[in-house]
Amino acid sequence: MEEAKEREKLTLVSRKSCFGLPTSCPNCLPAYVYLKFSGTPFDLDFNLINPDSDQIPYVESGTYVAYNNEKGGVIRSLSEDGFVDLDSQVRGIPEWISAKAMVDSWLADAIIYELWVGSDGTSAHKIYYSDLPWPLGKILYLKQVHVVKQILGITKENAERREEEIYRNANDAFSALSTRLGEQDYFFDNRPTSLDAVFLGHALFTLYALPETSVLRSKLLEHDNLVRYTEKYKSELIDSSGSSSSGTQSQSDPSSSVPRRPSQWSSKPKSKPKREKTEEEKKFRRRAKYFLVTQLVAVLVFLSLLGGSDAAEVELDEDDDGADYD
Amino acid sequence: MEEAKEREKLTLVTRKSCFGLPTSCPNCLPAYVYLKFSGTPFDLDFNLINPDSDQIPYVESGTYVAYNNEKGGVIRSLSEDGFVDLDSQVRGIPEWISAKAMVDSWLADAIIYELWVGSDGTSAHKIYYSDLPWPLGKILYLKQVHVVKQILGITKENAERREEEIYRNANDAFSALSTRLGEQAYFFDNRPTSLDAVFLGHALFTLYALPETSVLRSKLLEHDNLVRYTEKYKSEMIDSSGSSYSGTQSQSDPSSSVPRRPSQWSSKPKSKPKREKTEEEKKFRRRAKYFLVTQLVAVLVFLSLLGGSDAAEVELDEDDDDADYD
Repeated sequence: MEEAKEREKLTLVSRKSCFGLPTSCPNCLPAYVYLKFSGTPFDLDFNLINPDSDQIPYVESGTYVAYNNEKGGVIRSLSEDGFVDLDSQVRGIPEWISAKAMVDSWLADAIIYELWVGSDGTSAHKIYYSDLPWPLGKILYLKQVHVVKQILGITKENAERREEEIYRNANDAFSALSTRLGEQDYFFDNRPTSLDAVFLGHALFTLYALPETSVLRSKLLEHDNLVRYTEKYKSELIDSSGSSSSGTQSQSDPSSSVPRRPSQWSSKPKSKPKREKTEEEKKFRRRAKYFLVTQLVAVLVFLSLLGGSDAAEVELDEDDDGADYD
Repeated sequence: MEEAKEREKLTLVTRKSCFGLPTSCPNCLPAYVYLKFSGTPFDLDFNLINPDSDQIPYVESGTYVAYNNEKGGVIRSLSEDGFVDLDSQVRGIPEWISAKAMVDSWLADAIIYELWVGSDGTSAHKIYYSDLPWPLGKILYLKQVHVVKQILGITKENAERREEEIYRNANDAFSALSTRLGEQAYFFDNRPTSLDAVFLGHALFTLYALPETSVLRSKLLEHDNLVRYTEKYKSEMIDSSGSSYSGTQSQSDPSSSVPRRPSQWSSKPKSKPKREKTEEEKKFRRRAKYFLVTQLVAVLVFLSLLGGSDAAEVELDEDDDDADYD
């Protein structure tokens, strides 16, 4: 069925590394962690110029490619195509399936909300647009904010309610996972599965790439064992593995910099820069509207002048004729 | 804290009843089932004229109102405001939380997909638009199809892949729930919770309101115990309760009409009318585009005629002048 396992080395192509993480994009981290858990050797490459591409992350091996937007993604492709399968023992367990659903829906939604709507955009800019010219990055950012609001069904009228729902679901998910994990090493069956990989991807992103004012981050910090779990695998898989993670900024972030005692954090972040960002966005939109309106007015003025000058010419001629006829 | 429990009788306002169900709208069914499970007496009223309102379903009791789009919805409001709480014992159980997440995400997504994108629209029309004039219903329908595609992140390029993902998630959810339920009477703790109510709402809708060609419906039919569970509560709560609901069409649908043996159904529905609907939609859009283009052309022609007639007048005057000067 499958060819012999003599394959070329896997290469994982993801988005750039920053915040002390091997890759800072929340879509790419789960694939990275999954490969690390499996012990499969792989190279890490970066694609810096396609921030809105659905194909990233992807895995290559010789002529084989598994894109993010095909066949359910990199992790599923790796299983189905015989490279790595950590889930064979748990796939039939209902609790595992529902936990996976919860992480893939409630936590994934909370992450994209926090990244694109609930924060001031600095994290998103660093991860996706820092290698693009500023105007282009700004436009792509606003476009992505719009898309995310559509996906989450957020409108002006329900924005506050939806935010409350999203954070509440995330909190319930964290509570459930924390209770489930207890003091174990992994969530299920005493072995790592894709559930561990996906959750770790989300948690690493939440703890290290989101700003300290992030509500989502403060909610995760309330669950000690989840934070310990995340720090443990960050240290094992990322900081001390010695494999290639071009974390140019990794030296400046000490690996155990996540304060663990929730009492050091007020449960409401000190300053929520969301209003500032919305103001900026509103300003930008207002300016765009003014620009379009002035353009339209200019066109109309031009048309009326055209029509007006013709009328003026006709009048002049009539006056001349009038003068002649006197 | 709470006032004495001497309250006026609850009234649940939902969308119309059809397909033999007390209400046929998949958003309203869970609230109905939840109230039934609780044994709280309530009246059922219908709102037929606001198909795109987010407030429906809602519950009234005297001056108290709990809308669908406030505080997490009717079921949550009923718990928090002291009317009904079936979840007090299970709220902390991680498996219950994740099962709730799975039903609220994977199954809910599959239902809106099937209702608005994956089927030919007859079910949606019956439930939401049958009391509106046809053109208005058509426009609202197309608008809702567009919104649902945005929420599910469906584009022309990824439509096939997204459909596959949505059905796969639904199938995994059905498998997990089927395994979880086994031969029990309820999913958790041997008592009904909001998980049972929400799942039953989805299942009743899937089995009775979706057409026989529906892929989602055929997937649910593959799980005998889930079908039995659904039929059992339909019979207990709906067909034999004798409570007031205007099921004008309920007589024509025998209560045990759901064929249970999957072998009677091919796993691929016989004819998938999706292509036909997309054709119809494309025709409609083409016509709309032609209309707009002809309008634009008419405006341009008018403007140029205006400019042309001025020029003609000027020329005539010049000719007259020339004639005079001869």
